[in-house]
Amino acid sequence: MSCEELRDLYELYALGALEAEETAELDAHVARNCPTCVPGLKRALATNAVIASFVPDVEPPSRLRRKVLAGVGTGLSPRWGWMGAWATATAALLAGVLWFGIEDRRTASELAATRQQVAMTQMDLARVQQALQFLDEPETKQVGFGAGQPQPPRGNVFVNPNSGVLLIASNLPPAPAGKIYEMWIIPKSGAPKPAGLFQSQQNGSAFHLVPGPIDTSVTAAVAVSIEPEAGSATPTKIVIPPVAVGGM
Amino acid sequence: MFFFLLPVLAAVLRFANDSDLIRRLKQREPQAMADLYDRYGRLAYAVIYRIVRNAAAAEDLVQESFLRIWNRVQGFDEQKGALGPWVLTVARNRAIDYLRSLEGRLTQNAVALEKLESPGLFMDLESEILNIDRVRVLREAFEKLNPNQRIVIELAYYEGLSQSEMAERMKQPLGTVKTWVRSALKVLRDELGEAISV
Repeated sequence: MSCEELRDLYELYALGALEAEETAELDAHVARNCPTCVPGLKRALATNAVIASFVPDVEPPSRLRRKVLAGVGTGLSPRWGWMGAWATATAALLAGVLWFGIEDRRTASELAATRQQVAMTQMDLARVQQALQFLDEPETKQVGFGAGQPQPPRGNVFVNPNSGVLLIASNLPPAPAGKIYEMWIIPKSGAPKPAGLFQSQQNGSAFHLVPGPIDTSVTAAVAVSIEPEAGSATPTKIVIPPVAVGGM
Repeated sequence: MFFFLLPVLAAVLRFANDSDLIRRLKQREPQAMADLYDRYGRLAYAVIYRIVRNAAAAEDLVQESFLRIWNRVQGFDEQKGALGPWVLTVARNRAIDYLRSLEGRLTQNAVALEKLESPGLFMDLESEILNIDRVRVLREAFEKLNPNQRIVIELAYYEGLSQSEMAERMKQPLGTVKTWVRSALKVLRDELGEAISV
């Protein structure tokens, strides 16, 4: 099909609502970075996002913010009102003035590094708390992998039908620049489903939690691959072979 | 019943850009995720809730959407990337995937949705569209759609149906449905095009 014929399909393509044949036609134009279709598709993506938001306003429950932040392992700080924010800002400013007055030998970079370290520690603590809570739930089942082999990654996969999947691994060196680890949930039939991206620590340890219910009756295994940092739709290079979790 | 979200959308669009937020997300600053949620959480929840119409499922899907953003933000360009459209697209797609799985409609489209939310696609989007005045133009154009045009647009955007699935749902010939879809999209495109070229 010509670009002119495909022009009417950009929005539906961007919505994933085209038939397979039409999708394949546009895929081909996108793959060769077609100077007509790619800008048209980007325009459709922007238009679609705006149209998709033409919906009634609904207030999300306040707990959702905490859940979202816990889901990615970041701090659980409550949202303060403007008064709280101003009070915090003022206190922080005063503390900052005092701090720099007394500790003027410290450089700005040292302070930034300390702040970053505190943030990372808080993040790690939140993750550990989340993992402990997951492990403490009675429905959580465990299966090990890589045992007895010194070199390959080894560890455990924990599955909870109500809470999701947790991977705890060691011997998994940090993915090199431009790469990231991706977890896959492999159904008993069908293609593996992407289950989130993660990075391991310098010491080779990693844990990755995929929150949310999981239907264990149709799930066969969990695996991990190494992918480009944006992630992939299908596994590229498997680093933790499928760990059978079916029937747990 | 629509468009009540416009003030929220307008507030989001008033942010000159999200580049600093994207940079902080890429640096894994914990507060950046809180800021992302404060900026887009309400929009994402409203879009997802409209699609799945189930509060508990909507909460799970918002979580899943933000987790996906967090995990994939490293591939996002803070200078050229449009964060809002990306977040809304990921949220809408997660809800559509959920709806399709409930209805047993999980097909190759699931892979297509993944592919169409790649961070690289959201670079260099036309900034003219992401402007509150243009949003109003689109809203007014949406209101001009006749009932059949509006139905097919809603089926595409909020249920993820293909044109053959719409024809089956509406018990109408495929050709008729295609005409409605194309004419509806033309109305929206034409109005937007005129607004941008002014």
